[in-house]
Amino acid sequence: MNMTALTFTLKKNPTFKVDCSQLTPDKLAGMSLDKILEITLINNLKVIDLFKVSGNNFDNILFKKSTSQLDFIGHKMARGNITIDGDCGDFLGAKMYNGSVICHGNAGDRVGDKMRRGLILIDGSAGDYCGSQMIAGTIGVFEKVGKYAGFGMKRGTILLTKLPKLHATIQDCGTHTLPFLTLLFASFKPLSTLFNNIQSQRMQRFGGDLACGGNGEILLLLT
Amino acid sequence: MNINGIQIDDTFAEAFNMRGTRVIITALNLTWAYHAANAMTGFATSVIGCGVEAGIERELSADETPDGRPGVSILMFAMGSKVLMQQLETRMGQCVLTCPTVAAFAGIEPKEGLEVEPINLGKNLRYFGDGFQTSKLISKKRYWRIPVMDGEFLCEETTGMVRAIGGGNFLLLATSQAKALKAAEAAIKAMKQLPNVIMPFPGGVVRSGSKVGSKYKTMFASTNDAFCPTLKGLVATELSDDIESVMEIVIDGLTFNDVSNAMCAGILAICGLGEKSGVKRISAGNYGGKLGPHHFKLHELLTKK
Repeated sequence: MNMTALTFTLKKNPTFKVDCSQLTPDKLAGMSLDKILEITLINNLKVIDLFKVSGNNFDNILFKKSTSQLDFIGHKMARGNITIDGDCGDFLGAKMYNGSVICHGNAGDRVGDKMRRGLILIDGSAGDYCGSQMIAGTIGVFEKVGKYAGFGMKRGTILLTKLPKLHATIQDCGTHTLPFLTLLFASFKPLSTLFNNIQSQRMQRFGGDLACGGNGEILLLLT
Repeated sequence: MNINGIQIDDTFAEAFNMRGTRVIITALNLTWAYHAANAMTGFATSVIGCGVEAGIERELSADETPDGRPGVSILMFAMGSKVLMQQLETRMGQCVLTCPTVAAFAGIEPKEGLEVEPINLGKNLRYFGDGFQTSKLISKKRYWRIPVMDGEFLCEETTGMVRAIGGGNFLLLATSQAKALKAAEAAIKAMKQLPNVIMPFPGGVVRSGSKVGSKYKTMFASTNDAFCPTLKGLVATELSDDIESVMEIVIDGLTFNDVSNAMCAGILAICGLGEKSGVKRISAGNYGGKLGPHHFKLHELLTKK
């Protein structure tokens, strides 16, 4: 059987925020398409009211025509891959346990909030509090990030290409060449992301959040 | 059996069950990968006195290593898993962690049909980081990043341990020491082309073959007098008048086939040198077949080839 990603195509941009936390590979596993269409996302609105749904590979989920109204994509996901063609709202990959989320547009605030493991790569920009309260894992933002990146992060890595204004408990650790980045970048190769254009392992390391142990890091990639 | 004027004895090498592991060492350049690998495989010729038998399996080009840097692969064997794990950890800590620019990765991965047990590589070394160590889970493998003075020591958390075979061997009997050494060097050169084996003795060759037991109560092994040329006439010698030097090549490998392939490659390389090499006979060391479960019968191996 030909396997195509389980695709949620947004019918039209909603005027309200939509909670997409139920649309992850682990939560949808074993469901029929009919059952998925009947999932209530917000108030009385079901998946069928907002999305056209197609595809059969439930480990690979694709959001098409996505907008910043779609919050909590990848929330608590523990496996599989979610790709977002377009923008997404707040709390992208919040409380993630594993798997990967690739956003080809911009993301809202609190990307990867309290995430424990896994990978979030954003080709566009991210809002404020990116990686807030992160426990571990990896977040990459190819364009800009808002204020307070890494706020309350315990461990984990945030890859950035542009330096945001950082808060006082994120400290500059200097410029380095880190060997593990070769392995990390090699693991991005099967994924379609702008991070595959980065060749250099040269980066400026910021450690923090010192208010929460300080074992996390923001790596500013120097190209 | 006679190949190219060299007699092959109708005997067998007796080998033992061991536990083996492989570690991949990379560095900024091959020189420093070798510094770490040589230190890690140093004093590892025989389990009798060293705990493990270890050696460099081969060089790895940058496109063969996980981090895209040049490196070498190391094989390490011990009689039991506990000793192997203990020695691996000690050697990693003293020889690899300490060596500038070096990183270490698993050389044996879990594979279908192969019994692979994960053993610690960087799992406990991480505590050297004194709380500043961080881990990254990349493509389902856990790596540790330990801050050190030259930057960061990158080490995979575990490598794989498998059942292996140690003590495959053959003896070459020649008319002079120089000729024996030259033939041994040719054998080692050919054997080093093969994967999954090491020849753990210095240069791959051992001159002090042993027999079980000794006249001294404290010794459980002593010189193999039957093959010592200077004792001809004094003991029940295995040597004819024209033999003045005997050297042995010991092989540890991951499987029976790996060891037998290496033995064949070595013996055939010597036979390729012909009669003029000064090598008169090829034999093998055994304990009457009572100690080791694996018997490498020379005639059988070479006939198959």
